Amino acid sequence: MSTIESTKELMRKPAKRSRKIFIQKFLNTGILNVFLTILSMLLILPFIWMLLTSVKPLSEVGTDSWIPSTWQWHNYLDVFDAIPYARYYCNSLLIATWITFLQVTTSALAAFSFSRLEWPGRDKVFMLYLSTMMLPGLVMMIPNYQIMIQLGLVDSIAGLILPGAFSAFGTFLLRQFMLSIPSSLDEAAEIDGASKWRLFWDIILPLSRPGVIALAIFTFVGNYHSFFWPLVMLKSQHKYTLPIGLLYFDSSAGQETNLLMAAVVMSVIPLVFVYVILQKQLVAGIQLGAVKG
Amino acid sequence: MAVKGSKYRQLFTGLAFIGPNIAGVFTFVIFPVLFAILLAFSNWDLTKHNIFKDEPLYFVGLDNFTRLFNEGDFVRFLLNTLFLMMGIPFCVAGSLFCAMMLNKDNRGGGGKIYLYLTASALLFVGCIMLTLVGMGASAMTLLLAGVGGTVLISGLGFGQTIFRTLFYMPHFTTGVATYLLWKKLYDPYDGPINNVLNPVLGYVEAGVKVAPSPIVYMMHLALVVVVPVMFAFVLKRVYRWWQDGDLGSQGAFVTILITCIPIAVLVMKFSGFVHWTGKLEAVAIGGASVVMLLLFAIKWWNGKPFQIVEGMYGFGSALAFSLLMLVLMFIAIGLSMVVGNLPEMAQSGLEAPHWLTDYHWAKPSLMIMGFWAAIGSNNMLLYLAALTNVPKGLYEAAEIDGAGRFQTFWNVTWPQLAPTTFFIAVMSTIGGLQGGFEAARTMTEGGPSGATTTLSYYIYMEGFQTGRLSFSAALAWALFILVFTITLFNWKFGNRYVND
Repeated sequence: MSTIESTKELMRKPAKRSRKIFIQKFLNTGILNVFLTILSMLLILPFIWMLLTSVKPLSEVGTDSWIPSTWQWHNYLDVFDAIPYARYYCNSLLIATWITFLQVTTSALAAFSFSRLEWPGRDKVFMLYLSTMMLPGLVMMIPNYQIMIQLGLVDSIAGLILPGAFSAFGTFLLRQFMLSIPSSLDEAAEIDGASKWRLFWDIILPLSRPGVIALAIFTFVGNYHSFFWPLVMLKSQHKYTLPIGLLYFDSSAGQETNLLMAAVVMSVIPLVFVYVILQKQLVAGIQLGAVKG
Repeated sequence: MAVKGSKYRQLFTGLAFIGPNIAGVFTFVIFPVLFAILLAFSNWDLTKHNIFKDEPLYFVGLDNFTRLFNEGDFVRFLLNTLFLMMGIPFCVAGSLFCAMMLNKDNRGGGGKIYLYLTASALLFVGCIMLTLVGMGASAMTLLLAGVGGTVLISGLGFGQTIFRTLFYMPHFTTGVATYLLWKKLYDPYDGPINNVLNPVLGYVEAGVKVAPSPIVYMMHLALVVVVPVMFAFVLKRVYRWWQDGDLGSQGAFVTILITCIPIAVLVMKFSGFVHWTGKLEAVAIGGASVVMLLLFAIKWWNGKPFQIVEGMYGFGSALAFSLLMLVLMFIAIGLSMVVGNLPEMAQSGLEAPHWLTDYHWAKPSLMIMGFWAAIGSNNMLLYLAALTNVPKGLYEAAEIDGAGRFQTFWNVTWPQLAPTTFFIAVMSTIGGLQGGFEAARTMTEGGPSGATTTLSYYIYMEGFQTGRLSFSAALAWALFILVFTITLFNWKFGNRYVND
């Protein structure tokens, strides 16, 4: 509203004006809410269909009605009979957890070294790290596979964990975070006679907790979804991770849409939980990652 | 800081902390990269070097790279990738739109309005549910209405967190699981999309058959007319910026040139040039020049002929604007053509597309899915954060100056968001060039006949299926060079764009 308009408004009867503003604001907000609802409904329709299909009998898949005539909850149990789903689940969680733990540890140590310690050649090494982030992962895939052959780790869980345990991105993220911690803390610790390890373990690491948590979420979720490397590496069925297992399920019994959807639902649910519980940290982490520019 | 210990000691401590990481990075990143460089220039091919046969390995120089251009597949799959990337601007625009919606206070500032809102929402939802039950609606309608009502009421109750969560869900769960879900959604015979579309198309078909052809033709013409109207709008905008000194002459010319392309297409279509390829540029450039001369004339007529801002000033925003208009104009042209052809199509029966199994629809299908996954993605969250950082004073100033909604957006919000947009643009370009592998592998296997094979899927196929390792490495390097060049270009060009 411009000044002239608002002056005009002021000259009118106050009660009438405020009622008009009230109604306008009410309508605007109401329309906004309805609009947001419609948009979110459009976005979650696929999920609704997925949930409903996962409890349908097979004969009703593909009919016009989305509601099953009988709610076949045992579809979910049938998935475990059709494929070793629990195994895939455990593999995925195991791998994602290990990678997260190792990557956060190594990244935090390296980030401490890059941000809090002075040593000759530090910045050159850091530039090297930065430049590796530009490289597409695809460039490294074939050589890495050859390395795995040499190490005898093809088709093993360790072969999936090992390359993921070291990350230039994680180091970079945590370094940026640690740089924002005031350096007077270091000096105080030094005066108190603390070793570098004490400084890292008792001061810097606790203070960079938000960064560490964000990195942990990213790494965990990313590796839970991870597809390319396991696809290339895994040969034997009992070592499959969830994405590979789902792909295998789709190619071997893809016609059983209801079971497939039940499997999909179960693989998505942990993510929903992670998001709902950790969304504050996640949002903060996304912004942290973007600040670097 | 007091020097403690010698330089060697410092080095030792520094390396002790970095040790585990650097060992890993060297083994799994730096060594592989060096290895990949050697690989790209050699002739390692698993069909030639295996347990049965062992041809000598040697360096072949640039052979792999020349082959890459000679084989033609590279260019084809690169074009596929670029085609799929055309969805990115829509995704970013969608994210921005969602962020702006979420940035508004959906409770009307609390207090009395909030109370009224909640009460009327409850009433509204209740009435709709009762009506539906009364009308004997199917269980599905009831369910959907119920879910919608729940979303609306809980959205009011818990604020925008609910909406943000729902918007973010598709992105957060994107992976093989949701690709399989979409594969089922797109199923041409059993999928819910076609289950809904086919009856709708049936109605359209019946309607077109019944409607007298003049009406259809009028609709066709109306859509055609929209294009020049949009062009006029662009002209008005550009002229105004140009005159106000917000845009240099070159910038004005380029933006007009871009939006002249659809006009040129229309002109050629209606003036009867059937073989119009080749002449299109001529018409577009000629048209743009004429328009530019006209603008100069008008400027001169208005009495300020040579107040021209030279250079590329304001170029970025104007370019974004004209590209957006270009896409919209082409959509209008496409729609008009579809409407124009409807009677013929209705004669042979309208049918929903076969999505992923149809050569022409496979890429658009993936783009639609990408849009679903990307609209509420990290980009939305970044925009949301950036929006809350826009100083409130700027909006107040704009309000006092009497700026409308569009003007406020264009002159306040958009420039303030420029750094975020720049970051998102760079990241999505990089991601887009390397992307498409998972969808191709899980949904289409790169098909039908290579329609959805992107560069990353091609590299995977060559490296791990065909076994042409060296060729695959060369492909990967070509992709890297592409990504690197575009990023460099973005930095050089975009930084200026951010600062102006």
